[in-house]
Amino acid sequence: MTATATVHPSAALNHQQRSLLLAALAFIFFTLLPQFWDNDGDLDSLANAMSYATLALGLNIVVGFAGLLDLGYAAFFAIGAYYYGIFTSFQVMPPWSDSWAPLAYVGLVEKINQGGPDLVHFTLSFWIALPTGGLVAAFFGMLFGLPVLRLRGDYLAIVTLGFGEIVQICARNLDWLTNGAAGLNGVQGPKLFGYRFGVHAEPYYYVGLVLVAFLVFVSFRLRGSRIGRAWMAIREDETAASAMGISLVNYKLLAFALGAAFAGMTGVFFIAKLQTATPEMFNSAVSSMLLVMVVLGGMGSVWGVVVGAILLQLMQTWFLPQMTVWIHDLGKMTGIAAFGHVDMVQWTQLIFGVILVLMMLFRREGLIPAVRRVAPLSMEQQTAHVVRGGFQGLDKIGRWTPGTGTALDIKDVVVKFGGLVALNKVSLQVPEGGVVAVIGPNGSGKSTLFNVITGLVEANSGSIKFQGVELLGLAPHQVLENGVARTFQNIRLFSNLTVLENVLIGEHARLTTGPFGAVIRPPSVIKEESRATEWAMNIIAMFGNRLTPRWDQPVTALSYANRRRVEIARAIASRPKILLLDEPTAGMNPAESLELAEQIKSLHELGLTILLIEHKLDVVTRLADNVIVLDHGDKIAEGLPDVVRKDEEVLRAYLGRSGGH
Amino acid sequence: MTAGDLFLQQAINGLSLGAMYSLLALGFTLVYGIMELINFAHFNVFMVGSMIAMLTLQAFGLSGQQTILTGLPLVGVLLVGFAVSMVGCGLIGVAIERFLLRPLRSVKGPAAMITTIGVSYILFNLVLLTLGTDSKNFPNPLPSISWEIGGAVLRMREVLIWVIALVLMGGLTYFVTYTKLGKAMRATAQDPEAARMMGVEVDQVVMSAFFLGSALAGASGMIFGLYYNLAKVDIGFAAGLRAFTAAVLGGIGNVPGAMLGGVLIGLIESGSGQLIGAAWSDVVIFGILVLVLVFRPAGLLGRLAPNKS
Repeated sequence: MTATATVHPSAALNHQQRSLLLAALAFIFFTLLPQFWDNDGDLDSLANAMSYATLALGLNIVVGFAGLLDLGYAAFFAIGAYYYGIFTSFQVMPPWSDSWAPLAYVGLVEKINQGGPDLVHFTLSFWIALPTGGLVAAFFGMLFGLPVLRLRGDYLAIVTLGFGEIVQICARNLDWLTNGAAGLNGVQGPKLFGYRFGVHAEPYYYVGLVLVAFLVFVSFRLRGSRIGRAWMAIREDETAASAMGISLVNYKLLAFALGAAFAGMTGVFFIAKLQTATPEMFNSAVSSMLLVMVVLGGMGSVWGVVVGAILLQLMQTWFLPQMTVWIHDLGKMTGIAAFGHVDMVQWTQLIFGVILVLMMLFRREGLIPAVRRVAPLSMEQQTAHVVRGGFQGLDKIGRWTPGTGTALDIKDVVVKFGGLVALNKVSLQVPEGGVVAVIGPNGSGKSTLFNVITGLVEANSGSIKFQGVELLGLAPHQVLENGVARTFQNIRLFSNLTVLENVLIGEHARLTTGPFGAVIRPPSVIKEESRATEWAMNIIAMFGNRLTPRWDQPVTALSYANRRRVEIARAIASRPKILLLDEPTAGMNPAESLELAEQIKSLHELGLTILLIEHKLDVVTRLADNVIVLDHGDKIAEGLPDVVRKDEEVLRAYLGRSGGH
Repeated sequence: MTAGDLFLQQAINGLSLGAMYSLLALGFTLVYGIMELINFAHFNVFMVGSMIAMLTLQAFGLSGQQTILTGLPLVGVLLVGFAVSMVGCGLIGVAIERFLLRPLRSVKGPAAMITTIGVSYILFNLVLLTLGTDSKNFPNPLPSISWEIGGAVLRMREVLIWVIALVLMGGLTYFVTYTKLGKAMRATAQDPEAARMMGVEVDQVVMSAFFLGSALAGASGMIFGLYYNLAKVDIGFAAGLRAFTAAVLGGIGNVPGAMLGGVLIGLIESGSGQLIGAAWSDVVIFGILVLVLVFRPAGLLGRLAPNKS
């Protein structure tokens, strides 16, 4: 193999290390800050900024990673806050009975008497509330998310807007629980080994700092893991993500729940610091501010949202008030009375709106983009070293035993779109180890056939069995788990991700790392990741040096033919038993088509069964043992390539020889 | 009042609210039908419409409900009020589309929606900074003629609102059914790609959708003022949420659906306000939105929006 892989993914560690170093320096700086900046008010502002940074980090998981536009995120902030508030204040006090005694023993409640019967006063510790507040909010996140996460992204936006509003309405109207608009009072501050946090900002500042550091860490770990890749795949293209084995509902729920957990924890912290909670703290202005923070910093960019949060907090607490003073001074100097009435702080929301609009028009990736720019390739790297199959490194692909029977068995499948019959009782078999080609004019139902096999389209009747397993009724990701991988006619790559990330997403169903593993990263996970990367690089190397030097480039930077190759690589990464290729050579020149045909042949020799949609008859003849011809949803011919080429019916369908219908 | 009278009264109120929501829902549905975009700016274009209408009526020397007009002056003032608020809002809609959304039309993802959210804040805060947060007395020159039907009261303003809404909706239906541009709009909603190949100018279609939708929001804003005798900077959210729910309930992208949905939501709101209490009506409306989206996403009359899969 002549591929010249100049930079290997292990070199990417350099970037991570730099990032880590930066984080450590920032953490040390902020840890030492109170030592030389002894201004309680400023520390208090900073502690608030940290609360918003943690919220923005949570929202970033939902909006930035998973691409789910959540406009009511403050709801989870409120839930965490009221959870802590209610269980530490004197708002809800059920009558005392001895069954409370065990809780009193561990310090969660105490018996009090306000003249009357004995009552229960909740005394939940801050340190217990912090993680459990996250759990409670995550529970509500799933509760809200479950019915609506199946919806299209744009509906989700308005539904979350409504959720945000409903939580606020509840906070305002459920007086017995929340004390309504007046808010909860007497919320307890944290205690640590007998030390009461009290009203000074410094201890809260440190807690806030640790929270930010922790959530930055979690965000980075998730982003670089199987979980983060799955989210980003969903963000980029839901259909392709599910076809690559990602369960949309599960991963959206996970994003929603984790985002909510971040917000819930922040809510506990925020309320412990303020020691009061009113509905206004969680109104839609908060949700919108958080959205602006994420958009300003860069959706999906961890450092970006932290910087965005800090910038907007600085703007609100320092810059705008300061500017108001300047304008007032200017008014006094120039004698223009109108300047004296200006209060720039009132402009905050207007500025938010302007930021959103300007960022979308001119810098959608945010101040600190999540996608790094990559250096262009050298001339030497760009020179193609063509590999025409003969693959060695991929022998882990499962082998078929020749002549063992039918791999894919499609029987009488009918698909109707309204009145249009896209597939009319189509039956076909792909034998184990076979290469079957489906041809037919445009609109003959070829792609619909692929869509119905892979679960993207529902069949009206019929059956599709793969190695004895019924595929009809399975979700796309379950179809892939059964060993059926596909490419798309109009390439569906994850545009803003790199070649390597795209191929790694293909491996999703064959990896096991969960959210905890991704964050803690035990040796088993590290091992799995490095094996996955190695496998992905092997597959990328399959195309000679066409992709290898470009492994770190976003796929949008690739040529059309290379994007097709990435899509095939991504499908192969899932270790399929059967590969469904939808016009793999479309848009390639004859030399490239031939190159790819040889490569597909080599894959077949390595053990893949292949079902292929193709227009180029030379490619079909070269590859296929059997050809199926579709026309207007009907199977009109089947046989050896050479036989089918001469079939009258086929010629009529393709070329209209006998004068159409 | 007997239960029957109460029911009738709430039906009258509900129909008037419904007329307003229908007009507002049409704006959501036209834009969504063509671009698959939830236009959050629409919430506050409606509010701005109500402010423009108020300022226009005040320019005629009307203030509050003291000055009552009859005959030709009344018709003239109302016509000018509607015309100015509709054209004003229509132009705002066109400006939003032309300068802020058109550059993003080929951009995938939530960029366009985020822009409309930003525009919504901008409109809201511009009005807030110039006119303030207080509730304003919307001039209402209608004579207080009313009829008693059983125990229920039907006021002239309600009849007027119905008539105006019917005229506008009839006009819109005629437009999308029979005119060339209207047909182009429906074609684009079905399949933008095919429509373009058939020579439909998509820019023109999108712009007309924004103009018409926003103009109807302007009319709706004026109706809000005439109905409640007030204008306030924060009326956009509640009305917009109801109108959007109406559009989804009727089947988003579907013009008759938006009208039907609006009337139903109006009736549901007045009914639930009576039965559960006004504080919770947002929750009721929103619950309907979620239920419809989950169980019948195509709405009552069927969804009509480009299929981009």
